[in-house]
Amino acid sequence: MAMPLQEMVTSPDTDPIETPDAKQVAGRSPTQIALERLRHDKVAVVSAAIVVLFVALAILAPVITSLVGVELNAGDPSEDTDAFNFPVIGPPDNGFTWEAPLGLEPGTGDDLLAEWLYGARTSLEVASISTLLSTIIGVALGLVAGFSRGWLDRVISFVIDVFLSFPFLLGALAMAPILLNRFGGDPEALDKAQFFGIIFILTFFSWMGLARLIRGEVLSLREREFVQAARVIGVPTRTVLFKELLPNLIAPIVVSISLSVPAFVTAEAGLAYLGIGLTGRPSWGQTINQASGYFDEYALYLWAPVIGIMLLVIALNLLGDSVRDAFDPKTRR
Amino acid sequence: MRWKKLGIAATTAAMLSITACGGGGEENTGTDGNDTADNASPTFEEGGDAGGAIDMTRSKGPAPEVEGAQQGGTVTFLATSGLTTMDPTEAYYTNTLAILSQLVTRSLTQYVYDPEANNGEGGSVLIPDIAEKWESNPEYTKWTFTIRDGVRYETGDEVTCDDVAYGIKRSMDRDTFPGGAAYSNEYFKGGDKYSGPYTDGQEYDGVKCNGNELTILMERPFPDMPYWAAFPAIGPIPEGDASNPATYKNHPLATGPYMFGKYEPGISLQLVRNPEWDPATDPGRHQYVDEWDMKFTEDQSKLEQTLLSDSGEAQTTVTDESLSPSAFRTATQDSPERIDTGTTPCTYMFAPDYRKITDINIRKAIGWAYPYEDAAKASGSIVGVTRQFGTTLLPPGIPGRLQYDVLGNEGSQTDPEKAKALLEEAGAVGYEIKWPYIKGDELQEAGKDEIVSALEEAGFKASPVAVGVNQYSDFRADPNSPINVRAFGWCSDWPSGGSWFPPLLKSGGSNNYAFFEEKDVDNRINKILEMPVKDQPAAWGELDKYIFETYYPGPVYGYLGVATMHGSKIGGMKVSEVFGEPTLADIYITE
Repeated sequence: MAMPLQEMVTSPDTDPIETPDAKQVAGRSPTQIALERLRHDKVAVVSAAIVVLFVALAILAPVITSLVGVELNAGDPSEDTDAFNFPVIGPPDNGFTWEAPLGLEPGTGDDLLAEWLYGARTSLEVASISTLLSTIIGVALGLVAGFSRGWLDRVISFVIDVFLSFPFLLGALAMAPILLNRFGGDPEALDKAQFFGIIFILTFFSWMGLARLIRGEVLSLREREFVQAARVIGVPTRTVLFKELLPNLIAPIVVSISLSVPAFVTAEAGLAYLGIGLTGRPSWGQTINQASGYFDEYALYLWAPVIGIMLLVIALNLLGDSVRDAFDPKTRR
Repeated sequence: MRWKKLGIAATTAAMLSITACGGGGEENTGTDGNDTADNASPTFEEGGDAGGAIDMTRSKGPAPEVEGAQQGGTVTFLATSGLTTMDPTEAYYTNTLAILSQLVTRSLTQYVYDPEANNGEGGSVLIPDIAEKWESNPEYTKWTFTIRDGVRYETGDEVTCDDVAYGIKRSMDRDTFPGGAAYSNEYFKGGDKYSGPYTDGQEYDGVKCNGNELTILMERPFPDMPYWAAFPAIGPIPEGDASNPATYKNHPLATGPYMFGKYEPGISLQLVRNPEWDPATDPGRHQYVDEWDMKFTEDQSKLEQTLLSDSGEAQTTVTDESLSPSAFRTATQDSPERIDTGTTPCTYMFAPDYRKITDINIRKAIGWAYPYEDAAKASGSIVGVTRQFGTTLLPPGIPGRLQYDVLGNEGSQTDPEKAKALLEEAGAVGYEIKWPYIKGDELQEAGKDEIVSALEEAGFKASPVAVGVNQYSDFRADPNSPINVRAFGWCSDWPSGGSWFPPLLKSGGSNNYAFFEEKDVDNRINKILEMPVKDQPAAWGELDKYIFETYYPGPVYGYLGVATMHGSKIGGMKVSEVFGEPTLADIYITE
């Protein structure tokens, strides 16, 4: 229907003053509008660039380490550390060296650049998988609860309430010894179990917010005319959910994702810092925990993971804010 | 005795947290902070008699003044470890023993730090305390202690011989005091039957008082009785409600220079001057400071920062914790004079299960494969200071200790090639080594990583077993755990081979983590125990060498050392090699 109109409008004879902008607006979805807004948001662009950089560093960790010539866990304490267990090359006692750009870990002599890069990998892996899983669970349960009236809604809402009442830290604390007892005899299996255990704990305690949000949205949407109309003409429930409702929920979902990724990054580091997170693989939280006693003597050891987390979380948060602003029809700049 | 009870954070000393162990004499191996860098492999001489020395002539109080000592002030004592029971009968950790016996409760004998001992290097000497003198029959089966007059409790009541007898009877109660040392039951007459005044009443004929003469009868010869008599358990405890086990641990009656003030169990303890303590009756202790303000379960890095900053209250602060390598480094650069190093009578061993790893070549291969220095450094020890290397089971300072080196690696060299050759000889390349470690303790995990890579390099298959910190002790002690190597530490209760071989390497020994079992060795141990006392030290030294040369139970991976620190206004602080704790009774504050 729009086509003929557009053709008429673009005709130079009829209305030469009409700007090209007006034509594009007519043809864009809310998502396109949001993306367009994001492109013009300097903060969003910078944040996105930082996030992309981190993702690239994490994905390319093996390539970068082999390019620089460093390796994970390759330290030899008696060769690489002095009488006080401090590194014999690089900071803090010697100048910068390409052999160890971020220095060596005191005690073990392991390379800290490799630890940092693989730590970024761990952080982003855990955060993105947890976000994906919690979003899927949250959206699915929110949709079902909001759309079905009666007992199913009440059951799901009750489950959400129950989950909200579990203390997150207690769950994480309780899981660590369970995994240890089950997989203690097999270090590799234990490391895997810990990795998936962390993802499980983070997912388990974080889908409820989104589920509630989606349920509320669906409650109001399902009474709208286009949904009513679809049901009247006999569109199957599944199609109504996925074709009619879900597209209208893109905005809250995207916003939720963009805010939960940084939350998971900090949660993963926090758990590792407390000693109940990942131990078998490099993690920023772990490094911070180990480095906290070295701040006076060897500040870089602590700064590297702290700056890593800070930059990544700030960038993700700012990006999340921008995404929310961009999707919110009420904001105008 | 047991090494300090750990707080929430487990440290490398965790391995020692359940060792029943004790005080021994030991030479200071020249580790005064500055020269440690060059002192990676200290040379040990055959043990002298420091700490093992008994000087009964020093029975007259008051104790000789510490040079430069002054009166007054409050000392702050910080520790990361918690504080277990303070009931003198049950105290068995190095920190509770040190606080009780040096400051609060007196016993029959006591250790004092003598700067002249051990050829001027300084060391501990056992001297009289509540007992003025003692003697035994030639068979060491009947000991008589003469109790001193004029010793009073903080309440003003006189300490009588009967109070000491009551304390000794109390020390035989294993049901009420399961955590205490069991020597009374082991050696005293009928000790296996009598179980203390709370269950069996006062009727016990092993301990008798005749005026001031306290007589203890033995079930079997006990030449080391004067050492056991230095434990707070062998001291006066008043009868009746005053010493109710449920409450006495919150306020043991002081006979020493300080008494309990405000006490929050496990968290903080305030000690104030005991006005009833008479220096004329005490040949060993001093009462220089007005008050002790002790805080436990502190954060290690906070504690280190406090001491390094040395401002305000920190100037009058002491600690009994070893510094981390990082803080130790700062301290050696900024204020080496405030570092106190010392040794403890504690040995670490990476012990193969003798029932499972039966081939001596495999055990020797483990000895060559073990990454002595790497593992020590990665797990946060300072080589040459808090970890010293050696090859003998007896740590330096135990009388009779004989130097030998079965592998020829000086206790610190790793050689994967030699290990591999031995494995090939045994036809066991790829042999699986399974040992437990504490999961969640980064330092232990870092040490474990070093051991894994060293073992794999030597041709073993390394399978560490992750265990939680709370299950670790039980898991390791369980003979049926699916592991074939156990790392452990052991400290002696007093400087004698008799507190090493019977518990560690005799069939069914109480702490035989190696599950070592050889009839030949059992017989030799029994034979030595029956020898005249003066011949025993040399015989223990020979036995140490004989066992390792003949059977090589496994590698000794070092001895525990202490490197601690005090504030700039603290004087008189040394590390007593008996406990590996500061000499609290000698500490004073300078202006």
